[in-house]
Amino acid sequence: MSDSRLILAAFAVVFAAACGGNEPPPVVEPTGPTAEEIERMRQDSIQRAEAEARAQEVAEAERAAREEARRAEMARQTLTEIVYFDYDEATIRSDAEAKLREKIDILRRNPGVELRMEGHADERGTSEYNVALGNERAESVIRFISGFGLGADRFSAVSYGEARPMVEGSGERAWARNRRVEFVVTAGGDDIVP
Amino acid sequence: MTGNLRWRLLAAGLAALAAGLPSDGSAQDENVIPGVSLGLVYEADYLRPLALMPFFGTGAEGHAAAVEAELIMARDLRNSDRFRVVDSLPASLAGGGVDYGLWDGFGVDLLVTGSVEDGMGGRTLAVELHDVVYARVLEQGRFPIPSASDAGYRMAVHRAADAIVLWATGDPGAAATRIAFSMRTDPADVATEIYLVDSDGENLRRLTRDESNTASPAWAPGGRRLAYTSWKSGEPRIYERNLADGSERMLEPGRAGQQITPAYHPGGGRLAFALLGGARGGLFEYAVGEDCCLSSLGGGRYRNVQPTYSPDGTEIAFTSDRLGVATPQVYVMPASGGEARLLSPYRYGQGGYFTDPDWSPVSSKVAFAGRIRGRRTLYQILVADTKTGDSRLVQLTRQGDNQDPSWAPDGRHLVFTAEQGVYVVDSGTGRIRRLVRVQGARAEDPDWSPPLPPGNG
Repeated sequence: MSDSRLILAAFAVVFAAACGGNEPPPVVEPTGPTAEEIERMRQDSIQRAEAEARAQEVAEAERAAREEARRAEMARQTLTEIVYFDYDEATIRSDAEAKLREKIDILRRNPGVELRMEGHADERGTSEYNVALGNERAESVIRFISGFGLGADRFSAVSYGEARPMVEGSGERAWARNRRVEFVVTAGGDDIVP
Repeated sequence: MTGNLRWRLLAAGLAALAAGLPSDGSAQDENVIPGVSLGLVYEADYLRPLALMPFFGTGAEGHAAAVEAELIMARDLRNSDRFRVVDSLPASLAGGGVDYGLWDGFGVDLLVTGSVEDGMGGRTLAVELHDVVYARVLEQGRFPIPSASDAGYRMAVHRAADAIVLWATGDPGAAATRIAFSMRTDPADVATEIYLVDSDGENLRRLTRDESNTASPAWAPGGRRLAYTSWKSGEPRIYERNLADGSERMLEPGRAGQQITPAYHPGGGRLAFALLGGARGGLFEYAVGEDCCLSSLGGGRYRNVQPTYSPDGTEIAFTSDRLGVATPQVYVMPASGGEARLLSPYRYGQGGYFTDPDWSPVSSKVAFAGRIRGRRTLYQILVADTKTGDSRLVQLTRQGDNQDPSWAPDGRHLVFTAEQGVYVVDSGTGRIRRLVRVQGARAEDPDWSPPLPPGNG
């Protein structure tokens, strides 16, 4: 039905009512949408639903990607989380052991990841010997991790002794932060499987 | 020497120690390692009173050079700790010639006269050493010196001062030398570079520009080369610098790994160092002159660092934790490796912490740093005699926190680091002087040069 015919029909109804005198107006049956209209509306709603579903999918994928990235970032943070040592010591403390075990899980899932262990010492002790001590701490970490069946060739050690403190100054607060091994991802860091 | 005099000298030495270093406020007894006797390596002799007559030169520039030379030399002779250098008389009172009676009246035993002379062969500093008591010239010499504006002027005067020490005592002086050490370029930045300073604390300047961590300088015999450790490649490696032309190379001894704490053999052709890295590590010797022939001196799985050769090159003292306790000790072994014997004191159950050995260039004595646990953990400078073992260990410093000793070529003075800078202690008198004031992070690893040859600036 064309629009002009619809308008004519509407005029006819209004004219009949106006000329009807005192007679009550006839009940006008509302003219429902035509089948064409219904079909168009149906198509529109399908398209809307499809678009919504697509947007939801995209959002979902984005959320998943964000979650994935967050977990990868967490894995990276776990991998590079610093471990600390006792005064004069290169032995792995129990809190360090827990951190290293988390690293080992990630290293197992990521055979391409390689790490450099950077050993440090606090300012006490003499500077040259502290280079040896810092290295011993790095080697100690490598020995621990390699003991879980991970290839030692994935890990390298470098010591800075007391030359690069994390916290400047004297006192146990600073020293405790400075007796440490830091971890640098040297290979396979682009797509870490969390 | 009477016992009384010895005690008075000891007391004077302690007073000098107290004056030279900031007190940490802890009780003195806390600063003595149990079982170690406090004392001096030498029994200080009576210090002969010495004066310098005002030096003279011709022309305004020559005279200025002479006045400057006298000041430099007077300070060198004080720093030699061999004399009691008395204040000189003004030229107007001292007169033109040497009036032995006048100087004798001032209680002077030895008198130094000097003049700057311009001749056919260039400028010279002519000096004479007079015995005032016997009214005669003991020795005289002429030393070529450049103009006072030349970089080599001060070192030329230092050489003349060393000659006077030799004439008066029979022992060499140590004024014509430099000290290399490591220091931050900026107290707020972790980067460290190698610096050089003259033995009198003048002429401080930066040698390296690695913009990394640079440490452990070691002079080659002859003083024309310097080895040191730098992290600039990403891991610590040993570099050798030719001081004449400034050229530098990284040593490639044919074994990968972190390489630290170089030390030259007295012959100059070989260099010992520590290679870090578990079972592959240890102490090694490399023929640095021929660039070949790496040989292992042993060490294996322990931390072994800081080798230092005996004067005849047949033995090496070094630091190791091979005792199996967490702390290091100082050992001595044959220079080709082999069985090591403990040099630092060890008492069962008390590990002690002893590092930084440096073998005297002229004797069987080895200086090192020892940890003292009091209210603060501090380190003091100790000297052991390899001939007698630790029974004659002496402690040279008592105040402050002192590490990294290195002998002067006179085998008597030592340079070391404290919190406020780089210091020199005279093991003969116990006198301490500050060489370089350092603020912020401490200076590290000073190494005292051999006598520097002319032409070395």
